[in-house]
Amino acid sequence: MKTILVVDDEEDIRESVKLILESRGYNVEMAENGDDCLKKILSAKPDLILLDIMMPGLPVDEVVKQITDINIAFMSVVRISEARKRGLCTQDNIVDFIQKPFDVGDLIGRVELILGE
Amino acid sequence: MVWDDEGFSLKKLLFSKINRKLTFLFAIVGLVAPALALFFFYNISVSILSDSLPAEQSVMLETTAAIIITLLLAIDAGVIGFFVSRSISKPIKELYMVTKEVQKGNFNVRTNIKTGDEIEELSVAFNNTTTALAKLDTERKEIDNAKSEFLSITSHELRSPMTPMKAQLQMLEGGYFGKLTKKQKDSLKIVVRNADRLDKIIVDFLEVSRIEAARLKFAFKETNIKDLVEETVEFMNGFAKEKNVTLDLKIDKLPIIELDPDRTSQVLRNLINNAIKFSKNKSKIEIRAKHVDDHILFSVRDYGCGMNSEDQIRIFEPFYQVEDHSVRKHGGTGLGLTICRGIVESQKGKIWVESKPESGSTFYFIVPLKPVEEIEPIKVLFSPRNKIERKLKEEFKSILGPLGMGEFNELKGKNALWKEDLFKYVTSLTRQHILNEEQGKFFKNRIGIVFGNEKDVINDKNVTPTSIFEVVK
Ligand SMILES: Nc1ncnc2c1ncn2[C@@H]1O[C@H](COP(=O)(O)OP(=O)(O)OP(=O)(O)O)[C@@H](O)[C@H]1O
Ligand SMILES: [Mg+2]
Repeated sequence: MKTILVVDDEEDIRESVKLILESRGYNVEMAENGDDCLKKILSAKPDLILLDIMMPGLPVDEVVKQITDINIAFMSVVRISEARKRGLCTQDNIVDFIQKPFDVGDLIGRVELILGE
Repeated sequence: MVWDDEGFSLKKLLFSKINRKLTFLFAIVGLVAPALALFFFYNISVSILSDSLPAEQSVMLETTAAIIITLLLAIDAGVIGFFVSRSISKPIKELYMVTKEVQKGNFNVRTNIKTGDEIEELSVAFNNTTTALAKLDTERKEIDNAKSEFLSITSHELRSPMTPMKAQLQMLEGGYFGKLTKKQKDSLKIVVRNADRLDKIIVDFLEVSRIEAARLKFAFKETNIKDLVEETVEFMNGFAKEKNVTLDLKIDKLPIIELDPDRTSQVLRNLINNAIKFSKNKSKIEIRAKHVDDHILFSVRDYGCGMNSEDQIRIFEPFYQVEDHSVRKHGGTGLGLTICRGIVESQKGKIWVESKPESGSTFYFIVPLKPVEEIEPIKVLFSPRNKIERKLKEEFKSILGPLGMGEFNELKGKNALWKEDLFKYVTSLTRQHILNEEQGKFFKNRIGIVFGNEKDVINDKNVTPTSIFEVVK
């Protein structure tokens, strides 16, 4: 069973994403900020990280710099053009950008595509 | 300050000029010198020549003396006049020039008049006023930025709760938590529809805030317009089919130009969406794009309900929806065209509509072949545009008489109510001798004033300051 780490400072979003992905048979772990995310990576060993790009605490570019061997998909209310402008989408392991508010079917489709199912 | 308690008096001003410098000059040159001259001239001539001169020659001598005095007086008056007018008109001219700068919105100019009289005091008062204006102007800009900032922050904040809300609703609807009864489904549908509506409003607000702050992102890249329009139309076909409307697309070969495909497609989608919304079932919508001069002209034509000329101006205002188009039936926020206008005008394009009630509307927009270097901030909320059009309408009526209304509407139809267009139009009127030169200038002046800027007219050397004063009054 594949594990997905959902990182978002908003509990309702974390819970919603967890519900959706669990319904598809994934194991879902959650983190509420960058530091928390880095800690959880060690214990949960996720196959994919869904990462909000606007969170209090450790800036997201600092977070992604420390993750080199796990695929990351950004989730954000801002547009991808804005994220690019902030120089956020440069790393190779950043594989997708999910626009919030997302469509449930779309989210599932993207995750399955990344995880190769 | 003198002005505060006593007010301005021209008499006092003139007297002050004469008192200080000129009374002395006047007395010497004007009165004493000629009197002395007369005295000596007459005395000498009489004492030397008194015996030898015949009576008539002594009369001539007197006359000569009188003429010399008169001459001296005349020169004197000229000299005084020159100095008086120079010492008054020079600082006034300076004040005038600086006032013009202020009128153009440049509040950083100051006069530097050191005449030591009331004009200097006037200049000091003027400088204080400009300082105050500059302060107000800075404050206004700050408030304006704060408004845009506020709009942007709130729209982002408003958008984040939409994410979990929509996700949960979709899961409920999708049966993730069990099968729903029909009543539950119907109820949920209403909630979903309104959540979508709310989200669209928030997205539109964000877009408006971006337009106002010139933060609209454009990614210009070489684009095949034909492909772009075809893809957009393909995308909209789904909506068109629901209403049995055909989208008819004809595009000639077009040059490949640099533009932002997403933004252009966004404008097209908005226009086509409206066209579908306001068409009857089974009607046709024609979409065209062609190369005209230095721009590409896009058009979306429908055979739907159309609108009158008053509404044609107003539909580009935020939240404006034509009343009898029964908002309820069509939904929408009334921000679609506002955003289109923002996107188009930010890159120095234009958007306009030609329409007739009951026979349909054609929306046009143009995009320059060369992308703009700098995105312009466009005031789309609380835009002064409508006020400007109303004022222009009055000018047309008062200057061109009954002819004016027709002309105004025609120009408006062509979206030619912009300053440069109007100046060109007035020039064509004078060329055709419909207006004489004077009237043409007057008209341009009035137009300049409506747009709150007279720069072009001021620099026209044929227009004397007096004629501007007349116009301004
Ligand atoms: N093709 C058209 N034919 C007739 N009326 C139109 C047409 N397009 C726009 N209008 C009028 O202009 C109004 C404003 O249009 P606009 O696109 O800004 O808002 P909307 O379509 O009502 O809402 P939104 O686009 O925000 O969902 C419309 O409500 C309608 O009354
Ligand atoms: Mg619309």
